Amino acid sequence: MRKNDSLIAQLDWPLFITYLLMLIFGIATVYSVAFNPENPNIFSFDEKYGKQILWLCVSLFLGLIVFLIDSDIYRKFAFPIYLFVLSLLVLVLFMPPINGARAWIGVGSMGIQPAEFGKIAVSLLLAKYISELSVKQQTIGNVVGAAMILLVPMILILLQPDAGSFVVFTSFLFVMYREGLTFDPIILAIINSFPGVKMKYTWVGSHFIPILFVAIFLSIITLILSTIEIDFFFLPFKVSGAMGVLVSLVLFAIIGLLIIRQFGSKRDRSRGTLIIVLGLVLSGGLSFGVGTGFNSLAPHQKDRIELVLGLKEDPDGEDYNRNRAMAAVGSGGLTGKGYNKASVSSVESNHVPESETDFIFCPFAEEWGFLGTIVLIFMYMFMLIRIIVIAERQRAAFNRIYAYCVAMILFYHFAINIGMNIGFAPVIGIPLPFFSYGGSSMMSFSMMMFILLKLDSQRKDVLR
Amino acid sequence: MNFDARKYVIMAFILLVGGIYTIRLFYMQVIDDTWTLRAQEIAEKRKEITPPRGVIFDRNGKKIVSNRTYYNLMMVETEIKNLDTAAFAKLIGWTIEEVRNRFYEIRKGEGTYKNPHTGKTTSNYQKIRKYPFIKELTLEEISRIAPHLENFPGFYEEVTSMRNYPFSNGANILGYLSEVTREEIEQDRFYKPGNNIGRSGIERFYEKELRGIKGIKYIVTSALNNAIEPYADGKYDTIARQADPLKLGMDMMIQAYGERLMQNKKGCIVAIEPATGEILAMISAPSFDPNLLVGKRNISLNYPKLATDKNMPLFPRPLQAEYPPGSIFKLVQALIGLQEGVITPESGFPCDQSMVGCHPGHYASSVASGVQYSCNPYFYAVMRRIIQQNIKKNMFADAEIGLNKWHDYMLSFGLGKSLEADVSGQRPGVIPNAAYYDKWYGHHRWAFSTIRSISIGQGEVKLTPLQMANIAAIIANKGWFYTPHFVKSIGRKGPLPQYKVKQYTKVESKHFSPVIEGMRRVVNEAGGTARLARIDSMIVCGKTGTVQNPHGKDHSVFIAFAPMHNPKIAIAVFVENSGFGGTWAAPIASLMIEKYLRRKIKDKEKEKRILEAKLSNMEDLPIDEENQNQPD
Repeated sequence: MRKNDSLIAQLDWPLFITYLLMLIFGIATVYSVAFNPENPNIFSFDEKYGKQILWLCVSLFLGLIVFLIDSDIYRKFAFPIYLFVLSLLVLVLFMPPINGARAWIGVGSMGIQPAEFGKIAVSLLLAKYISELSVKQQTIGNVVGAAMILLVPMILILLQPDAGSFVVFTSFLFVMYREGLTFDPIILAIINSFPGVKMKYTWVGSHFIPILFVAIFLSIITLILSTIEIDFFFLPFKVSGAMGVLVSLVLFAIIGLLIIRQFGSKRDRSRGTLIIVLGLVLSGGLSFGVGTGFNSLAPHQKDRIELVLGLKEDPDGEDYNRNRAMAAVGSGGLTGKGYNKASVSSVESNHVPESETDFIFCPFAEEWGFLGTIVLIFMYMFMLIRIIVIAERQRAAFNRIYAYCVAMILFYHFAINIGMNIGFAPVIGIPLPFFSYGGSSMMSFSMMMFILLKLDSQRKDVLR
Repeated sequence: MNFDARKYVIMAFILLVGGIYTIRLFYMQVIDDTWTLRAQEIAEKRKEITPPRGVIFDRNGKKIVSNRTYYNLMMVETEIKNLDTAAFAKLIGWTIEEVRNRFYEIRKGEGTYKNPHTGKTTSNYQKIRKYPFIKELTLEEISRIAPHLENFPGFYEEVTSMRNYPFSNGANILGYLSEVTREEIEQDRFYKPGNNIGRSGIERFYEKELRGIKGIKYIVTSALNNAIEPYADGKYDTIARQADPLKLGMDMMIQAYGERLMQNKKGCIVAIEPATGEILAMISAPSFDPNLLVGKRNISLNYPKLATDKNMPLFPRPLQAEYPPGSIFKLVQALIGLQEGVITPESGFPCDQSMVGCHPGHYASSVASGVQYSCNPYFYAVMRRIIQQNIKKNMFADAEIGLNKWHDYMLSFGLGKSLEADVSGQRPGVIPNAAYYDKWYGHHRWAFSTIRSISIGQGEVKLTPLQMANIAAIIANKGWFYTPHFVKSIGRKGPLPQYKVKQYTKVESKHFSPVIEGMRRVVNEAGGTARLARIDSMIVCGKTGTVQNPHGKDHSVFIAFAPMHNPKIAIAVFVENSGFGGTWAAPIASLMIEKYLRRKIKDKEKEKRILEAKLSNMEDLPIDEENQNQPD
């Protein structure tokens, strides 16, 4: 092995450094939030910051082991690992419930959450399964096979119940989409069962997953914004929320068209323009339809939907988490209140429950303001795009698929976690990767990352 | 099929979400400041400082309601270290058990919060916050405890202020304070749990004028939490401001004297300065020491006792008791008769006792002598002429017109409606009109003979003692009055605007002279019914009343004003179940007038007789001896 083939030379440093930066940011935020003047030392293991550092050390140790083992093992042992995690997911159902869910194995503060490791196991097995499909063809059998890998752990997780992890598992649908395993064969089978219809391909069927998610995303944002009015300081009138969504869509479309005009080939240009215009009309129609449709609902139906979305809540009533979280985020201003100066989201003040775990974005946004949050979002964007770039440069399909799994899982956690802090997603408890306090999530995300880095460092060794 | 292009779809999706989140965060954090305001609201960084309540002076500048400093023993749990419970319990004079229970009680009193997502229940109690361990300690109590507090870290003294009444008089009129209810907090954002609010009397009516302006300190509680610092260097802080003092028209000296005269009796005295409408004294007997209802501890101890006392010391009789006025009502009847022109000052009526009894041996040959002899048949005749003016042929229709006309006069005298003095809880009394009797007897089923007993202030007619005193003030002024009120000035401002408007009755000034002449004779001439109300070298004008009481002994009533020319005081005295008006009410009124105008009593025998009298079937005596400190 030549010197520049060593791990250090082959490691993807941009990704690794971003990962380390996030961990440092995370521990700094936990230290600020959970600070106990009686144990001011950041390494005091009685406090959450000390424990988080301990978890970090354990994770780095695990990472070292991952780096030492040949990456081939993950492909070979994907199925046994999957079965092992499944058995843990079954076992956890017999554990005493903590906070109403049987999600933890182990005693006291040293418990682990099998669902966290389920994400790695499913990623590995899904990568193995799709990469080994002999003919890359969309058949109902292939699609169902891949779906089964997801569905079994998802059902077990739903039994716990853990809505957050359940939702995160739908991120694998995007991976399937990237690999061409969409629901088109199923849709085609239904369509072609009508006599006289003979189709080979439906655009909606093959792009079913992103279309579905864009539709859901747009609907939720429209619903959330439909009840409010936005007051822009540079506009003399108030803009209704639904109108704001429509205007944003038009803006995005214009930007998209400009990009295509500038960079696209001639064929791409006409096709891209068609897609964007069509997409604008459809999405605009959807958000308009959802907005007006919602407003024409009966009050009790409206209440129901608003309740599910967390729109309807007495600011001081029982379900006040999100309102407090948004107050904390919004009060950060441009430059924030300064490190250690979060007033709404500190643990002691108790206004935002779980402010060191699921709501860690609150104290971060409150202390660092918009400048901090834009850095955080940029770091995530960079990490996600970097992982996709890494994925696309892999020779082995297994590596690529696994990398996509990691990207989509992280993306989901990012989108939902930040979303619930800014009122764009219902409150479901999932952590912000590398920031939130907690051993299981820290270890599982780190493992995921290290396996990816290891696979990538050996990408040239793998021939197929 | 090549799926490589799909990576752009996924990248675009990721960047779209990132872009939208950035826009949203920019809007939330930089443009929209509602969340900043919300954060200020929920972080409870405001610390409110409640100023002491405004003080109250009497008309001579005596401080009659002030504030006394009390102390709360506060505790902060995180600062308590190695508490020696036994020693602490001994220091505050509790048992160890009581101390332990108190800790538990404080924690429980704060309630809990249940997180709907995790199902976790957390207490609202916060170890880092200050909570009152013992409230309302006096200076003596705290001075015994405070020197030793340094041995008990985590416990502090904190100053609060509560009402103090240097004179034990006027409890029903001044009113008392108690803690705000949840509803009151919801209605008015000024109040926070634990604040006091005026619960009755002047304290309640002038709540907004007395409570002052709260000071607000903005404090930042950082994530380091123990460090509490002023927000923006105190730029937005406001200073607590005590309300301007109230000056009452009340003369505490005669208020206290009146309460002494009324000891062991049930009833009231109301005295008004006719020229201004200021209430000089308002005695409700029996009464209680206002200091009994100061602070939570006292209220919970004394209120139940006072509320269940059969003599009803909490009942503000001058405002809420509605009595038939008896013969004093004849004055108003005469005035209305004169104004309506149905009688002249020289009208005489025989003492024809076919309809109503009367005492023998007189012939009322004029309005003045009708008043002097308080001749019942005379006023039946007057009232008949007012009610039955033969405007309509039908006797019943005629009575309807007449009674409603009469009712309008009554309203102009402030009768049959609340006088709206500046004190909470006044009753309107009863002055019947046509609709009232229609309900009883049916339309056109009644005439004068049906309702005649109201001629002499019996039957359906009812007045509060405040209204009776106001009649005396109207006659003293010959036809007008200012709405009776307590507060002469608020800070440097005068009384409330509604008390600066002269109210005119529907009777012209010229008609008052014969009635006043009659009232002079009542007190000062042989055959008058209130000879006991005479004062040496002063002309008192008055009118007695003896209210028939089907439930027991008659009530004794007297209204008067003095001196006859340029009157300085108008007064009404009502003594329940004591007999003739001239026997008890009249001498009490004269003593009050003499005390107010001369500051001393010449006829000591008269005073002694009143002070020693025990009337009105008192249940246990509510006014204890120590309450009779006499201010001077």
